[in-house]
Amino acid sequence: MTDVSSPPPPPTGAPVDLGHLTQAYSASGPPMVEAFGVTKAFGDVIAVSDVSFRIGSGITAILGPNGAGKSTLFRILCGLTPPSKGRVEVLGRDARRDRDVRGRIGLAPQQDAMFDRLSAFEFVEYAALTNGVDSAETRARAALDYVEISADDPKRVGAFSKGMRQRVKLAAALVHDPEILVLDEPLTGLDPVQRSRMIELFNDLAGQDKCLLVSSHVLDEVARLGSNVLVIAQGRLAAAGDYHALRDMMDDRPHRIRIETDQPRRLAAAIIERDLAKGVSVENEEITLDTTDVDRFGRAIAPLAVELTAHLGSVAPLDDDLESVFRYLVEGR
Amino acid sequence: MSASVSPLRAIGLVHGLLIRQLLTRGRILALLALSVLLGVVSLSVRLSDTLENPLRSSVEIFDVVGFTLVVPIVALVFAGAALGDSREDGTLVYLWLRPMDRWPVVVGAWLAAVSVSLPLTVVPLGISAMIAGVGEGLLMATVLAALVGVLVYSAVFVLLGLLLKNSIIWGIGYILIWEGLIAQFGSALGKAALRGYTRSILANRMDIDLDGFSEVSTASAVAIPIVVTIVALFLAAARLRTMEID
Repeated sequence: MTDVSSPPPPPTGAPVDLGHLTQAYSASGPPMVEAFGVTKAFGDVIAVSDVSFRIGSGITAILGPNGAGKSTLFRILCGLTPPSKGRVEVLGRDARRDRDVRGRIGLAPQQDAMFDRLSAFEFVEYAALTNGVDSAETRARAALDYVEISADDPKRVGAFSKGMRQRVKLAAALVHDPEILVLDEPLTGLDPVQRSRMIELFNDLAGQDKCLLVSSHVLDEVARLGSNVLVIAQGRLAAAGDYHALRDMMDDRPHRIRIETDQPRRLAAAIIERDLAKGVSVENEEITLDTTDVDRFGRAIAPLAVELTAHLGSVAPLDDDLESVFRYLVEGR
Repeated sequence: MSASVSPLRAIGLVHGLLIRQLLTRGRILALLALSVLLGVVSLSVRLSDTLENPLRSSVEIFDVVGFTLVVPIVALVFAGAALGDSREDGTLVYLWLRPMDRWPVVVGAWLAAVSVSLPLTVVPLGISAMIAGVGEGLLMATVLAALVGVLVYSAVFVLLGLLLKNSIIWGIGYILIWEGLIAQFGSALGKAALRGYTRSILANRMDIDLDGFSEVSTASAVAIPIVVTIVALFLAAARLRTMEID
């Protein structure tokens, strides 16, 4: 492969500040969840690396690819596992050591495991009872009603579909009216209608001054969850702030494109000459290039090929997915 | 809305839930089959007319089959699974992330295992003792030894379930190697195996010397397993408090 020009400069290693979130917190009150330099290592593997943030009420989406460290971060927040370094405070306390604060957290874990021999009502009522709720039966019925599952359905949760199990887990997480709701990939396995309904519920809960932490690896889901986002990639906090700023950055970042043509060298030289792209390389009958202005490049490439009497086999983006966004945020490539 | 759960309430809640989780048809049938084995052997002793000392033969059979196999294995299957299964399948989080102390969770799990194991051991062993037809003494000795055995083995295996994955495999290794072999070495090593105490109860109550193993008095053979039970439950609660939950 021949390098024709240098690639675009990478972003710095520090988290990209997309707005207000890392600097301040909800206007409605003090921070509800705070992480101070949290690191978690499993042997030689660093699952979470030096993550700090403060979160207030409302929805905060934790966005990151699978294996990025989102679930580990959630487990640390809930006290399920201690950090190797740093500390976490939930409502000013450590959930691992403080018994009472655990009753103010509702967790819907990512794993599918539930007490499969119980019905949905029994499962949610059990969550209420073990959280010390007085009117457990009434609250369980209300929570199941909230997620649109019949409390009178005698079927065991082990026989439920993935979507129904997700909703039962949500009902169990909120049955004791916690101030903090930690929802790990809650939209996985839901059909589009169920997703919409679930997102409505999240927004409704956020309107009750609760702090919702919702993880996802799907950018479009995050778009519908609200404006606050923490991007986790390779265990690091890659970006934090406003979703729309993230979206803009995605559009502005260099896009890698591959072109198949019968005259790759002539076409590559013309692209550089007209400043349509950087990082142009040629191999056999393919050109690979980076551009920060996809629209301009798209408008220009076909007329340029006609002008050069070059045949365009294909023009395809190589990195138009979320993984490449994370890669760009973390590694600058 | 949420409030701390009292220890007694927590014990009741965990006990009730785990009883339902533990009672699967497969487990019960398999373990009943194991108990029936003892009944068949007892029946063959009763019907045999070639034994010199039917009482001694019956006690030895109960020692080997009942208290080396049936009691520890039944306790292992239920107590090992009580929190071990939850730990391995990821449902332990639903007991852990609650405003409850750790020790009531452990005690509730232990009581659930005991509640299921006791009827599955005491009843078949009692029936087998009656089938053997060597007097009421064997029935009483068997029931007492089974009760002590279930209590202490259940506590040890609840702890094992929290310490190790695949606790059933480790537990069977422990039963066969430690309880099965070590207990036969006598004196100090014999006292380090729980089987030695159930055996002592059986031998003392029946006034039979089982190869020099009736060294521990019946009172000690009851008291020491109770101490072991308390220590095992204490360690299990400490383990639950410090372990990482998936």
